[in-house]
Amino acid sequence: MSALGGKAAGGDGINMTGTIVGIVIILVSIGITAVLGASLIVPLIGIIIGGALIAFGVHFVPVGGAPAAMGQAPGIATGVAMLAAGAGLAGLFGGAWAYETTGDFLISIIGGAVGGGLMMAITCLMVNATYVFAMGIPAASGKIAKDPITGDTFPEYKSQGTEGHGLPFISFVGGVIGGLIAGLGGTIIYIELLDAYSTGLATIMQAEATAIQPLAISLAGIFAIGFFLVNAVLAAYNITGTIEGPHDPKFKRVPRAVIGCAVASAFCGLISLLLVTNIGM
Amino acid sequence: MTAKMEASEGKMPHNKLMTYGLVIAVVGTYLTYLNVLTGVAVFSFFGGIAAVAALWWGSDTIKHLCSYGLGTGVPSAGMIAFGSGAIAMIVGTKFGIASPIVTVILAAILGAVIGYTANNIINMNIPVMIMSLMELAVVGAMTMLGFAAMATGSFEFNQLIIGSMSLSVESAGVAAGGAQTFLVTAIPQYGNSLIGGAALAVIFFLGALALQHPFNACLGPNESQDRTLMLALSCGFLSMIVVAIISFVFIGLLAGTISLIISLIAWFYCYKTYIDLSKRDAYAWLDSKPIIEVGGDQ
Repeated sequence: MSALGGKAAGGDGINMTGTIVGIVIILVSIGITAVLGASLIVPLIGIIIGGALIAFGVHFVPVGGAPAAMGQAPGIATGVAMLAAGAGLAGLFGGAWAYETTGDFLISIIGGAVGGGLMMAITCLMVNATYVFAMGIPAASGKIAKDPITGDTFPEYKSQGTEGHGLPFISFVGGVIGGLIAGLGGTIIYIELLDAYSTGLATIMQAEATAIQPLAISLAGIFAIGFFLVNAVLAAYNITGTIEGPHDPKFKRVPRAVIGCAVASAFCGLISLLLVTNIGM
Repeated sequence: MTAKMEASEGKMPHNKLMTYGLVIAVVGTYLTYLNVLTGVAVFSFFGGIAAVAALWWGSDTIKHLCSYGLGTGVPSAGMIAFGSGAIAMIVGTKFGIASPIVTVILAAILGAVIGYTANNIINMNIPVMIMSLMELAVVGAMTMLGFAAMATGSFEFNQLIIGSMSLSVESAGVAAGGAQTFLVTAIPQYGNSLIGGAALAVIFFLGALALQHPFNACLGPNESQDRTLMLALSCGFLSMIVVAIISFVFIGLLAGTISLIISLIAWFYCYKTYIDLSKRDAYAWLDSKPIIEVGGDQ
């Protein structure tokens, strides 16, 4: 929800020119990375996939913004940047811990997904407890008449003059799925960067891999937070602030966010991988 | 885009403000190089001044961007600024003495690509989008670079990642004369540095909070530029106080104390001026008083 209440013009369509330029940017980024070092291509592709997953995941999360805080719209009563950062960082911590403990890629990204999903599940549960027991409002969506999962009907519970309120079950499920996917994406970015930095920094700084480890972890962590925020905010721009979950008509806009975040991730990934090349040092 | 909301007619044009902000940010960051030239660390506080100048400029950019209905709230602009700025800043520090300039260029390119993505692929169609995200990426990068330079006294990658040196003593065998010789090498410790200890993550969020707060707090029909920018300065110096405390670890007691005193005085002045400006803009100002206790049996 905009602070000043304006609506961004967007529509649901895909801008062909922009998309083609975007795909060119992705290919050029991969090409430059290949020239800089063949071993950096896999991390870059991991980063692009991770960014696209974050964009996809954010669209599932029921973001209500300020109207939700006043009980006038369904969803969690805060902005996308905060929610996505929360789910992403929870996922990142889970995944980072799993990677340090096991060193296994698959277990780590699943750990990251579970971390993000768990955070969203707890948030959704407590948000609904607050809505029902503290604000005294039932869960009702304004966008659909019937919950696709439970079959509950909404119109008789929806207050007049609102777009719905509370957090219906479908939004809860969407939130958990969104947390899972976004946490998965964030963890992939983190692990790919960590691998690239652990080996790359040890080579260019001529230091032992164990000595460089805290540096690689910190750098990968800070970069992963940066990537996560860029992708989450771009996805937030796509849904213009609020969405109810996978049943919301705005969900149809998801392809262009996935493309956009892949483009942004590819270019940010190229810049971040410059750190382990000889440029500048 | 039709929903342009006029925030306030700024007294200072945005381009002039941007020029001042960028120049002070770059020059201030370079002034920390006096540390290297003179061999003392007392010039570190210039980094903080540079960061505050960048935040001051960034607050006005956020005002321009967010006066179009983004739909996501003002804080998201601060988050994307620092997300892209952090990437540009860390890579930019690799370029030695040219770091501040390279950081500005890298951040501007990064911001332009992200702005193009938002405007043309995600179809935001906001006229100032690309320019604003470019500016915000530079603001984020320069704020982090300024604060990092303030905390460690240097803006170069090697200084930001090496916390201290430890000596490693190895026996090099018995020399020809029969005496035992030792090979002593200095091993850099990365874990207790600004980046290795992840103090940079604290700087990331200190800057992001200082950038996203001023316009978010001051927006509305009665917004005025000088009040918003004074709050930006106040928030910037508030973050600078925390960075000054972090800097005690890296640059020692004397330089850290100088930074702390400068940031405390500047914050106090800006906060006081901000309260005065708020009183000027307010319709009425009622100082709340404690509830008066009436005596007797009640």
